[in-house]
Amino acid sequence: MTDPDILIVGGGLHGLSAALHLARAGRRVRVLEARAVGAQASGYSAGGVRTLGRHPAEVPLALEAIERWHDIADLVGDECGFRPVGQVRVAETEAELAQLAERVERLRAAGWTHEALADAETVRRLLPAVAPHVVGGIVARRDGFASPLRTTRAFGRAAMAAGATVIEGARVAAVDRRPGLWRLRTHDGETHAAPLLLNAAGAWGGRIARAAGEPIPLGFNAFQMLLTDALPPLLTPVVGAAGRPLSFKQSDSGHVMIGGGHKGQADLDTGAIRLDVPRLAYSARTALDLFPALRGARIVHAWAGIEAVTPDELPVIGRSAVADGLVHAFGFSGHGFALAPIVGAVVASLLLDGPEAHALAAFAPDRFTLGGPAPETRSALLQPAG
Amino acid sequence: MTATPRIVIVGGGPAGRAALAALPGAVRIARPEATAWHAEPGRLWVEGDGRVWAEPFDALLVCADEPLLLAALGCTVRDGRVVADPAGRTDVPGVSVAGRVAGAADPQDAERQAIVAARALAAGPADTDAPMIQPAGPPSAETSAGETWAAETWAALRLDPVALAALLEQPAGPERDRSALAQRAILGAVVPARPVSLAALAGLVAAMPEAVPPQADTGALA
Repeated sequence: MTDPDILIVGGGLHGLSAALHLARAGRRVRVLEARAVGAQASGYSAGGVRTLGRHPAEVPLALEAIERWHDIADLVGDECGFRPVGQVRVAETEAELAQLAERVERLRAAGWTHEALADAETVRRLLPAVAPHVVGGIVARRDGFASPLRTTRAFGRAAMAAGATVIEGARVAAVDRRPGLWRLRTHDGETHAAPLLLNAAGAWGGRIARAAGEPIPLGFNAFQMLLTDALPPLLTPVVGAAGRPLSFKQSDSGHVMIGGGHKGQADLDTGAIRLDVPRLAYSARTALDLFPALRGARIVHAWAGIEAVTPDELPVIGRSAVADGLVHAFGFSGHGFALAPIVGAVVASLLLDGPEAHALAAFAPDRFTLGGPAPETRSALLQPAG
Repeated sequence: MTATPRIVIVGGGPAGRAALAALPGAVRIARPEATAWHAEPGRLWVEGDGRVWAEPFDALLVCADEPLLLAALGCTVRDGRVVADPAGRTDVPGVSVAGRVAGAADPQDAERQAIVAARALAAGPADTDAPMIQPAGPPSAETSAGETWAAETWAALRLDPVALAALLEQPAGPERDRSALAQRAILGAVVPARPVSLAALAGLVAAMPEAVPPQADTGALA
């Protein structure tokens, strides 16, 4: 194999998106994936394509990403199951509605109009099956959802078509920095070297960072999801709730996916997960509270994927503060799926010393060691996983 | 004084009946009144009479053809049959099997297996320290370093969650279970073993569970 210009650790969506953009820029790219493409968060996500309810620091990226999603087939040669059905965040109390209204005003003051306040009648028009106690909500009409595994594979295929190499079963065991060269040894004893390194290792990103000499605080969650049996059409947009974690959508096949943030348990060393049934039950309860028509539904599948979570629930995107030639893109905290088309372009630009076209200070790798996250980086709304 | 181990039997057929006769103090879960839809170490999740509950166990004897239930506990399953010793003990401590799921050829064989397994359970020590669900890696031929990913690889065989849901809502049976177990070999867990009522599951909790912080990671590459 020809030596690559860039090594990417992590064959998830963000690593593959970066690989695609770098390969199309003419660089030799090698992706090292510990297990299989999309084996963790990228393949297990709820697939939400969401600008709605984003943290202000993420809004510019999310708005650029949504434009790319609407032309996703142009980018990766596959529609990725993208359905631009919109997203709705419902309020169950007047206090929640007031909070949503305040958010919309705040966004408008910043020049963003992608979120619109909706009264109860509008919400009921969008969601005829919603419970009568819902008093309103906010809507982002260009949002939607996509198929996570299909999307990850599409980015992988496109990256390889552009010349990138993706090696599965290549678990990185050691990171070594020599002058001008990153050397990575994988579990099977192989060594890979390149001048540039992208850490897109998801929940394992903290370990890669530490091995590179840059401790970045990172935890992880096993976000749980449920799927019902195939039901008659119940709803079109993706639904979240202002007051409790919920991500709720119906696939083309009629299966209703319920997720949003209730967690199981995971073991980062083995990749094993264990579901937490009472917390799954609360997800089911939330869905039933909001959509009483689900009373006759049956749960046919439940699962969890391991997702990296940072202390401020914002991703780590940026150049290393301690080592040349290293860029991080991990820690998306359960809501990175939608950002992948733009994050791949952003990190490619960082690796290629391009201009920083995006404000990335809120995502800086060293923000946790420089007095912690700035106040404006605190989230305004619940961020449902997926 | 040592407490009597709590033994739970799953199955209402000949093997389940024979097991209960041999273990009169045991709790039996049998369809259609009660369905065991998921299991985890020391706890069987049951649906019946419009509600969901956890049935704790020190020892579990599965006499119904429920390989996904056993797979959820981490039992080794080969060719649709759970791997067990002659006394029905699986490789997960405290979990035993009898009947078709253990390879019984007919109801008489199933009964015989159930009695043997029940007696072994009654005699043996209880142990609930079962392992977590363990995901399998790609087949070894696919894992050698230097091999590049092609479209038709191990990963391509994996179903996405919606497709897996469509499979799991098919009636339980050898064909569905075989396909689901193939996914289990890839994903490490296929849950639930049988569909469960959303409303019954929702009734399990009344209030939002307390938020738990993210799990910490201070591990290193190894």
